[in-house]
Amino acid sequence: MSLTGEVATAAAGERASMPALELRGVGKSFGQVRALARVDLAAFAGEIHCIVGDNGAGKSTTLKILSGIYQPDAGDMRIGGATVALRDAAAAHDFGIAVVHQDLALVECLDVATNMALGDIPRRGRFLLDRPRMEAEAGKVLSDLKIRVGSVRTQIGLLSGGERQIVAIARAVRMNLPIILLDEPTAALGVRETAHVGDILEDLRRQGRTVICISHDLEFVFAHADRITVMRLGNSVATRQRADTSRDEIVGLITGSISRAPDPATASR
Amino acid sequence: MTAMLNETATPQRPKFFTADRLLRPETTLIAVIVLIGIATAARNPNFLNVGNLTDIARAAVIYFVMACGAALLMIGGGLDFSVGAVFTLGGISAAWLMQAGLPWPLAIVGGLVVGLLAGYINSQVIARLHVPPIIATLGTFFIFTGLSVQLTGGQDIVPLPTAFQRIGQGAVLGVPFVVIYAIVIGAMFWFLLEHTPFGIEVRAVGGNRKAAIANGLRVARIETGLYLLAGLTAALAGIIYAARVGSGQVSAGGSSVTLSVVTAVLIGGVSLLGGLGSITGVAVGAILLSEIDNALIVAAVPPQYNTIVVGVILIAAVAIDHLRRERLYRVRR
Repeated sequence: MSLTGEVATAAAGERASMPALELRGVGKSFGQVRALARVDLAAFAGEIHCIVGDNGAGKSTTLKILSGIYQPDAGDMRIGGATVALRDAAAAHDFGIAVVHQDLALVECLDVATNMALGDIPRRGRFLLDRPRMEAEAGKVLSDLKIRVGSVRTQIGLLSGGERQIVAIARAVRMNLPIILLDEPTAALGVRETAHVGDILEDLRRQGRTVICISHDLEFVFAHADRITVMRLGNSVATRQRADTSRDEIVGLITGSISRAPDPATASR
Repeated sequence: MTAMLNETATPQRPKFFTADRLLRPETTLIAVIVLIGIATAARNPNFLNVGNLTDIARAAVIYFVMACGAALLMIGGGLDFSVGAVFTLGGISAAWLMQAGLPWPLAIVGGLVVGLLAGYINSQVIARLHVPPIIATLGTFFIFTGLSVQLTGGQDIVPLPTAFQRIGQGAVLGVPFVVIYAIVIGAMFWFLLEHTPFGIEVRAVGGNRKAAIANGLRVARIETGLYLLAGLTAALAGIIYAARVGSGQVSAGGSSVTLSVVTAVLIGGVSLLGGLGSITGVAVGAILLSEIDNALIVAAVPPQYNTIVVGVILIAAVAIDHLRRERLYRVRR
C-alpha cells in the first residue's frame, strides 16, 4: 500500500506539517439525538494522540467516523490533507487506517491467526487461502510484540478478556498501516499488560505511525500521549500538549469546570 | 518467550484418538448410524444388501446436495426455508424447458438459473425489505410452490428424454452417478469452506456479524452469495431428482423436504447461531436421515416412528452440541 511507504519516509521523527488524519467541524446525529456537535481533531505522523472525555462525550462515535462505520452529517474528514468519504470499514482500511474497537470485533469461533487476518486474508493465487502463511504471519507479529497467547490455532472463545484485547491490538499492528485507532485498549488489562500496550504504542510512534487512542485511564494517557484532545458533550473542547498541561487541567476540561479555552500551541499553528 | 511461542505454534503430530476427535459430532453420528444398522439388520438381514445400501446412498444424495448450500448459508448465519420449494421449482423448470423442446443440457442450465434467481430473490427480500430470513424464506416458500403449480397446471411433466433420465439413473461399476455427483459437489463445498478466504469470511459473518463488518468484510455481498448457493444446490437437487424418477413432479419437494434438509444440517453439527459446522458433518447427517427412512421400512416399523425417531435425534444432536460447546467455551474472563 503506497500510504505505508509515504509514512515510512516521514518517519524520521520530526512531525510533518500536514496532519495525517484530520476532522474539521464534524457533526453526527442519530434521529433526534445529536451525538457529535462539532469535532475538530488533527493527528500527526509519529505521535500518540489521546482522546479523553466522560461517558457520552462522543469519543466512540468519533472513532466510528474515523473508521468508516458511521458517516458524518457535517464537516470533513481528511487524510494527508485530502478530503475523503469513507463508505465503510473496508474503505478505511484502504485509506491506511487500522482499528481496535472497544468491543474488540473478534469472532469467537475462529482461531487467533484467522482473526488477525480477517479483512486481509493471505491468498495463494486469487482464490486459495494460504493458511501456513496466515499462521506464520500471526506468529511473527505476536512474537515481535512479545505476546503469549499459546498457539495461533487457539480459538478466541477460549481466551480471557485481557488476552482478547491483546490479540485485537496485535491484529491492528499486523495490518501494517500508517494510522492506528484504538478505543479503550487497556480497559480489560492488568497493570503489567497495560504497560505492555503502552510499549507497543510507543514502538508504533517510533515507526512514524499516527496513533489515536481513546482512553479513560488518565495515568495511561499521561504516561504515553504526546497530545491530548478533550471531548465534552459532543464537542472537542481543547487539545493540549502533554508537556504543557496537567491532570487537573484535563480533568477540569472533561467535567466542564474549566471552560473551553484556546490552546496557545494550536492557535499559533 | 519467543521460543516458547514458536514451540506451541507448531502443530503437534495429531494422535488418531484424541478427545477432540472423539467428541466431534461426526464421530457420535457414525456410531448412531452403525447402531441403527445393526438393530435393523437383526430384524431383517436384507437391510445390508448392496441394493438396499445403494438405495440409502441414492436418497441421501438428494438431502446432501441441498444441504451443502443450506449448510454454508447457516454457517454464515442465514436460514433458507424455501429450499423445498426451490427443489420442486428447479426440477419443474428444467422439465418444462425440455418439453418445450430445449436440449436437455440447456434445460438443466435453465433450471439452475431459476434456482439462482430464487436465491437472489431471497437475499434481496432479506437485505432490502429487512424481513428476517426465517420469515422471508417462509414467504418465498409459498410463492415458489405456487409458481410450480402455475407452471404445470398441477400436472407432473412426463415423459423426459431418456438421455436426461440416464444422468439420474445410470451407474458406473455399481456406483450410481448421483452418488458421484454428491461426492464431487461435497468436495467442492468442503474446499470452499475450508480452503478459501470466502469460507473463512462466511464463518466470520456467521460467528459475529458485527465484528465481520467492523473488520471490513463486505457482509452484504457474502450473504447474497450464500443465498445464491442455497438456491443453486436446491434447484440442482431437484433436477437430479427429476432425472432419477424420470418426471418433473409438482409434489416432489415441499415443506417436508425443507425440514429434512434443515434437520440434516443441524444433526450434522452446524450451529443455528452460525460460525460452526462442517461439510463432512452434514454428509453424515444426510446419510443418517436417509438410513432412518430406509431402516424403518425394511424393519417394517410403522411410519409414525420414523418422524418420532428423527425428532428425538434432532433434539439430542443439538442438545449434545450445546453441551460440547459449553465445555469448549468455559468462559475464563
